[in-house]
Amino acid sequence: MKKQSYNTMLISVAGLILLLAVFPIPVLAQGKQAPAASEEGKVLYEDKCAHCHGVDGAGDGSAAENLLPRPRDFTRGLYKIRSTESAQLPTDQDIFDIISNGMPGSSMPAWGEILTENEQWQLVAHIKTFYDGFEDASPRLIDVSDKVPYSEESVTKGKEFYTNLGCVDCHGVVGRGDGTSAPDLTDEWGFRTWPANLWEQWNYRGGSTTEDIFKRFIGGIAGSPMPSFISSFRLGLTDEESARMNELELKMDGEGLSEAEEEEYAGLEEKLFMFEDIMLNVEEGVELTPEEQTKLDTALKPIFEKSWHLANYVKSLGPEERPQAAVGDKVLRSQYREGTLPGMNDEAWNEIKEASYFPLVGQIVIDPRQFNPSIDSVMAKSFYNDSEIAFLFAWDDRTKTLPQADDETGETVEDALAIQFPVKISEGPTDPKPYFIYGDRRPVYLWSWKVAEPSTVTEMNAKGINTATVQSDQSPIQAEGVYKDGQYQLWVKRSLITEDKRNDVQFAPGVFIPIAFSAWDGANGDVNTKRAISTWYTFVLDPVPSNKRFVYPPLIALISVGLLFGLKSSVRRRQDT
Amino acid sequence: MKTKVVTILTLLIACVYVTTAAAAGGNEEVESLVFPASYKAMSVSNGGTISGMVKFDGTAPEMKKLEITKDVQVCGKTDKFDESIVLGEGNGLKNTIVYLTDISSGADFPSDAKYEIDQKGCHFNPHVRLLPVGKRLTMINPDRINHNVHIFSSMNPAFNKSQPGTRRKMNVKAVKKAEGPVAVKCDVHGWMKAWIAYIPHPYFAVTDENGKYTLENVPPGTYKLAYWQEACGTNKAEPVSVTVEAGGTVTQDFTLALK
Repeated sequence: MKKQSYNTMLISVAGLILLLAVFPIPVLAQGKQAPAASEEGKVLYEDKCAHCHGVDGAGDGSAAENLLPRPRDFTRGLYKIRSTESAQLPTDQDIFDIISNGMPGSSMPAWGEILTENEQWQLVAHIKTFYDGFEDASPRLIDVSDKVPYSEESVTKGKEFYTNLGCVDCHGVVGRGDGTSAPDLTDEWGFRTWPANLWEQWNYRGGSTTEDIFKRFIGGIAGSPMPSFISSFRLGLTDEESARMNELELKMDGEGLSEAEEEEYAGLEEKLFMFEDIMLNVEEGVELTPEEQTKLDTALKPIFEKSWHLANYVKSLGPEERPQAAVGDKVLRSQYREGTLPGMNDEAWNEIKEASYFPLVGQIVIDPRQFNPSIDSVMAKSFYNDSEIAFLFAWDDRTKTLPQADDETGETVEDALAIQFPVKISEGPTDPKPYFIYGDRRPVYLWSWKVAEPSTVTEMNAKGINTATVQSDQSPIQAEGVYKDGQYQLWVKRSLITEDKRNDVQFAPGVFIPIAFSAWDGANGDVNTKRAISTWYTFVLDPVPSNKRFVYPPLIALISVGLLFGLKSSVRRRQDT
Repeated sequence: MKTKVVTILTLLIACVYVTTAAAAGGNEEVESLVFPASYKAMSVSNGGTISGMVKFDGTAPEMKKLEITKDVQVCGKTDKFDESIVLGEGNGLKNTIVYLTDISSGADFPSDAKYEIDQKGCHFNPHVRLLPVGKRLTMINPDRINHNVHIFSSMNPAFNKSQPGTRRKMNVKAVKKAEGPVAVKCDVHGWMKAWIAYIPHPYFAVTDENGKYTLENVPPGTYKLAYWQEACGTNKAEPVSVTVEAGGTVTQDFTLALK
């Protein structure tokens, strides 16, 4: 028996050596190293980067003022997107990747499309000169080797951590960046910052692969309020021990602990601090003994596993790509429905699988402008029947802002939405539409909704940017707006045809009707022209499915069958003769 | 113990920097302390004492009440106030750092001292924490709610780690360089704010609730004495000269006004 296990061991070792020869263990790769800083890099930096990041790398270039997020200040060595542990510098490869891929959702473009690889490495080298700490740095990498594959089970576990570890505080209950701490966040330079809307993965600054999410969770986002969550778990304790510690802490705060329990608690605490001490030694740069290293690796394993579950959960929240805008085959089609149209919470809305997506941008045509809009899209679904049309609009907003004085301007700001149609629908593609921001001599017809009166949509007309007036004769329009978990939903219902044909748009099936949006986020200082807007899109009321479909197809089938029979008998007759 | 040198702790600090550490406190500019270029720890047997009181000049400004925007059931149990000016008896000004700027050798830090910041009720206590270079800090979270410990260092690597309710005590790694004061914040509870000064020698004191401070065991000699106060600034450009005699006590009071 003993001999057998010895042989087995020998074979395993030999096998392992062979395997290693063929597939080397994936060493935590630092990636490529930047070359030495050069004059070329400096010139390139001053040409391409300094406008935003400043000549001295302090994030204070001439364009910085109008950018949000602000361009990074390189002088403090704080890099948001890293493959390295908390409080560590990035690798050269990390900096290269950001230059090359840009930062989605910010003003940082992807230079990989413009500069050669060599030029990008020269920039990496120059950027590193802004912070002394790079000189002898060898940052510790986050170990991503034990990835937990994506599964429903993993997502479910991850959701629990998301809720319990405090992610909800900033990112909100369902992850739209609307947590209760979100409105007060600033970065280390004192600039306003918002937690990511985790549904919009195309805006993740450092990419949205599960590995990217894992690295942000373990390493934190330096300079921002996003901490490293590696400290969230009780290092070295089993789940049972950790649960017991919870129990004892609850009791400690309540009735108090018995002597035996106090001893038990002290024992658990001692174990935790023993492992924490090893971890802190690593952070302080103390070399570990092989035994300590093994202890730490073993203790970190379950923590990494839990973190992968968390990453899988975040990954599950939304699509990787931004939805396509509502044009072409994605155009908004109001669907015909017999009888009463569905109300706000009717399940019938789920029959429309995919809402149409209308991207918004900041209004920068006329002062006051919005260079940093916080609302980036409106989604819409629609049904109509023989007499009415209903819409369900949705848009993400991290804060519900009732009318209040803006911190900076003192003006009254509030959340609002305006849905815009032309009064007269153009006859064809050559017939010009009104100007897309509130019309011109060709007037627009508006539905104005404001958060303070969530069940009211006011009809307005405008003939230019600052000319919107409330109609004296309001058509009966039903509306209902609610805010939940970082998203507004607005339901609106109007009759297809109104009495005021001079000022109201009239809806008819089969006609392409222009539609556009304006959205105000009060917490972002939006008021009047300072807002997010869309260009004109079009939507269409799907033609009424005709009853004739029950008549013609069977008739044609009947005729065909009759003809066939006729043909058959005529052939037979001919054969007979 | 009569052996002269017990330990020699040489702390390398780039230089005596009198620069302004911008950004260390978020959007505000914070004056940094003055540290000696190097410091040698040794046993001090015949030290003297410097003590005194820091008074606030003028009428006490009304302490701004902070708005508790979340976790109200825990954080809202007691009112929270802006602590940039806290006055005690006789206008004594709390939370002022008083220290020697130019001492290059003297006592070591006590080996058994603990350095803690408590977050009970979503409030950092103390408001100004002196933390020796090379010593770890313990963050205490007795409320079973989520905090994050965000230390705005710039000389040392910035620090930001989550401390959920299940981490009643969390130790924070030691730093290598003297720095500060740097801001400490909890981003989850935006009103929470404190200061940490990473100090290279023990001749720093923080005034108590009545503005009193004491520097003990100072080797005889003449030193420069300076103060730092969050709202009143610093006299580091023109520190006061004090002469300490063996076993003697020197009194040095300060009167500070708002910047």
